[in-house]
Amino acid sequence: MASVTFQNVEKAFGSTKVIHGIGFDIHDGEFMVLVGPSGCGKSTLLRMLAGLEEISAGTIAIDGKVVNDVESKDRDIAMVFQSYALYPHMTVADNMAFSLKLRKAQPEVIKERVSRAAKILNLEPYLARYPRELSGGQRQRVAMGRAIVRDPKVFLFDEPLSNLDAKLRVAMRAEIKALHQRLKTTTVYVTHDQVEAMTMADRIVVMHDGRVEQIGTPLDLYDHPGNLFVAQFIGSPAMNVIEGTIKRENGAAHVVSRGGVRWPLRSAAGSEGQTVAYGIRPEHLSLTDAKTSAAVPAEITVVEPTGAETELLLQAGEAQIVLVTHGRPDVNPGDRVGLAVEPAMVHVFDQQTGQRLAS
Amino acid sequence: MKPITLRQVTTEAKLLLIGIPVLIWTLLPVYNLFLFSISPKESAFAGNLWPDHPTLHNFEVVFREQHYYLSHFWLQLWNSLLIAVTVGVLTLLVATCAAFAISRLKVKGGRAVMNLALFTYFIPAAFLAVPMYKTMGNYGLLNNQWALILAMLTIAAPYSIWVLKQASDKLPYELDEAAKIDGASPLQLFRLVYLPLMMPSLVAIGTYALLLAWNEYLYAFLLLSNDRQITLGVALGNFLAADDSPWELLMATGLIYALPPAAIYYVFKRYMVGGLTAGAVKS
Repeated sequence: MASVTFQNVEKAFGSTKVIHGIGFDIHDGEFMVLVGPSGCGKSTLLRMLAGLEEISAGTIAIDGKVVNDVESKDRDIAMVFQSYALYPHMTVADNMAFSLKLRKAQPEVIKERVSRAAKILNLEPYLARYPRELSGGQRQRVAMGRAIVRDPKVFLFDEPLSNLDAKLRVAMRAEIKALHQRLKTTTVYVTHDQVEAMTMADRIVVMHDGRVEQIGTPLDLYDHPGNLFVAQFIGSPAMNVIEGTIKRENGAAHVVSRGGVRWPLRSAAGSEGQTVAYGIRPEHLSLTDAKTSAAVPAEITVVEPTGAETELLLQAGEAQIVLVTHGRPDVNPGDRVGLAVEPAMVHVFDQQTGQRLAS
Repeated sequence: MKPITLRQVTTEAKLLLIGIPVLIWTLLPVYNLFLFSISPKESAFAGNLWPDHPTLHNFEVVFREQHYYLSHFWLQLWNSLLIAVTVGVLTLLVATCAAFAISRLKVKGGRAVMNLALFTYFIPAAFLAVPMYKTMGNYGLLNNQWALILAMLTIAAPYSIWVLKQASDKLPYELDEAAKIDGASPLQLFRLVYLPLMMPSLVAIGTYALLLAWNEYLYAFLLLSNDRQITLGVALGNFLAADDSPWELLMATGLIYALPPAAIYYVFKRYMVGGLTAGAVKS
């Protein structure tokens, strides 16, 4: 187990800079998820930590020891690849034992560690099989088994679940999380799926265009997104963002969007006339009587019941709004309704910089 | 069983219509070879579809080296085999290492070297024969079997490198990375991961180089002259030096000469299967 430290890490491929000076710490035993849209540099950052990519500038340290010039095999890390990368000519047992054999471990030690890993991952019946004889989920588990027999300081996962179907993905998500709770090994997990990030992480690093947008616990990012990018990236369905200008009258503040719709604002954030992005999550909106004075008038365009929840698509002024409710409201497309906003749950961002306005 | 549709029947018929003439076309010369080899000398040119008195006498003469042209038959067969196998092994060694370096280790300038090697194919091998002869003379290798081995290696290597490079480009690169993280040195990666996965291509290329050398005539004829050094192929050519060539013996020897390649092909055919990398990565 170990901590990991990134300091001003940069990466350039030729003259193209893909990582622009990233620095953060991963604590001992922490499950850290790097999340961001494709091309944001999260995989590159992971591969730099793994020693598969050169570090152009800055330092990466594992357990306080700078590893910039340390070979992958001497960094004491194990990696699970998106494509599994199992050795096709070796059985499951041999795949898992490979790294130990290369390290010239005693045969008894190898056997014991492989069978322990197989037990943890429910792979015991498949030890003599070849990767081609396994299902996707089983291959994924073998790839994890190959990592845990090593008992490394840090586990690296590079989008390990993106090749699995939705159902298996949810199951494996829980398995990986359970595995981490059991082994308590420092883990760096890369994904583009914010749901994966939210459900698995102790802390999340949100990346965008080679920069860190925000670091925090899942709920911290959800409740206090530092900027518009994080606000829209974290949460599903995504946060509603409405452009407008701040208006204050009679002690009440509003954001007036195009089409003249007035969105209630509680805080004193921002100044009169400032153009802002008004953010409200779909689950913080509710339906109310259209005649209430505080209600935001809207028209329902689509109703999507999913059983437990109902998702409504609405048109409010020129803005498309999504609303999620736990009930099963008796509404139909075309209905004119009122939206009630929980003012405490409103996020306001500067339209130009995208930064959160102090509230 | 599903009922056979008319469509399937016509498809099958079309295939047969093409297949049968091709088969006859291919087998006719071989049949002729066989016919000559089992005919007595006097009726060799009779033109019958089957000889009146088929005999194995020709083979007996060949095996017992009972003819002037065949006085070193076994030695020459051995020469052919030795040279072919050596060329096969050396080509594999050179081409595999080169392909690994170019494709997996991504050595700088590797591609340029490969293209340069392939450039030799722009010049017909026959034109290179004389320069090659001179070069081997400079090295003092004339009439030494190494001259032929090295010449064949030169001819076989560029194509082999190219084919193996293409094949190894298809191996997922994540395997190398996984092995690297697992602690494999480049040499261990080569031995424990790369070679096993390349086996089908290696067998194909080894067979290719071996058969190329086995069938080579021009270079063998030029570079080797001593009766005890030459390959069986050259010895067969020498039959034609006589006014009255013993055709039936030539054909019998030719048939024997053709058997090892056929055997090699059938033995190694089953190794040349694809799908070895199935299950490595999700594609």
